[in-house]
Amino acid sequence: MRSFVIAAALVAVASATCTDPKVQASSYTPADSQVLNAIPYIAEFSLKCGNGETPSLFADIDGDLVPVPQSIDGAKYQVSWIKELKKATTGDISVALYDTEGYTAVKRSRERGEASTTAPLVTIVVSYPGSYGGPMFNSEHFALAMSALVFYFAFSSRSSLLA
Amino acid sequence: MSHLWSITFMVFLAVVRLNADEGSARLLLSKQIHNKYLVEGMDIVVKYNLFNVGDGAATNVKVVDNGFRADDFDLVSGQLKYKLDRVAPGANTSQTVVVRAKKFGYFNFTAAEVSYSGEGGSGVVLTGLSSDPGQGVIIAARDYDRQFSAHLLDWAAFAVMTLPSLGIPFLLWWSSKSKYESIATKKD
Repeated sequence: MRSFVIAAALVAVASATCTDPKVQASSYTPADSQVLNAIPYIAEFSLKCGNGETPSLFADIDGDLVPVPQSIDGAKYQVSWIKELKKATTGDISVALYDTEGYTAVKRSRERGEASTTAPLVTIVVSYPGSYGGPMFNSEHFALAMSALVFYFAFSSRSSLLA
Repeated sequence: MSHLWSITFMVFLAVVRLNADEGSARLLLSKQIHNKYLVEGMDIVVKYNLFNVGDGAATNVKVVDNGFRADDFDLVSGQLKYKLDRVAPGANTSQTVVVRAKKFGYFNFTAAEVSYSGEGGSGVVLTGLSSDPGQGVIIAARDYDRQFSAHLLDWAAFAVMTLPSLGIPFLLWWSSKSKYESIATKKD
């Protein structure tokens, strides 16, 4: 009887991995960063597993493996990080997501210093096309330049006419 | 002999106490606003950083931020209430949320709350508060535009307004020049 209970427990633990993962993701990066110090990259996604699990996930962000927060009802996960304005890169950023076993495997291989061969459970992509950082040059500088140009044109025409 | 036993008992107590204190989780939550200015109708970036400075893992971690009410703020992206199954000792994790203010004025950014248990199902739920960003001023959109917008429309209007004072003398000169030039060529 006891061995049966232990065997059942082992089976339950083994089936905690997600089978046939399906991801639906939506990401957000700001379009206007004039008032910000740092750019946030936020991806919210829902994960549907074939066996109905909601496993705890770990995300690989900038080389660090961090746990992924879930909404209180467990329906959605959120991967987010911020980058300073100057260091923010545009383009598509892929984030690899691992479950607990994948996380321990990747951590072990990184500690040993070798490249990890574990495939992530899913990968999501956050795209940052760049954001508006304010006008390139001040309009008053442009107006000053234009008025200087008009003055120069008028003065040179006047000199050539009077000469 | 009984002296020795009492000493042994004291040592045993001390060792047992050490073992009981080891493996306790302690979470610190920091809430930071990453904005240069807080402007009505523009993004406000809020970052929550969770650190486990204890020796044990924290389980069943729930973070709730009730400080951005729905009638004062729009949630653009991110979740203000989230949970984590387990935070290992020495680990840190973060969450970023973007909100937009619907109103301007002084706003007191309050702390978020975190609740967690230690590992091993001790059943004791510990709670904590995040760091409190304090009071900030959310500037009205029109004040921000007055100072920071490109004012292109204003300068275009200015250019149109200066056209008469430049254009009228030029037109007068041009008409008299062309009249005298035509007279001069006719004479020759």
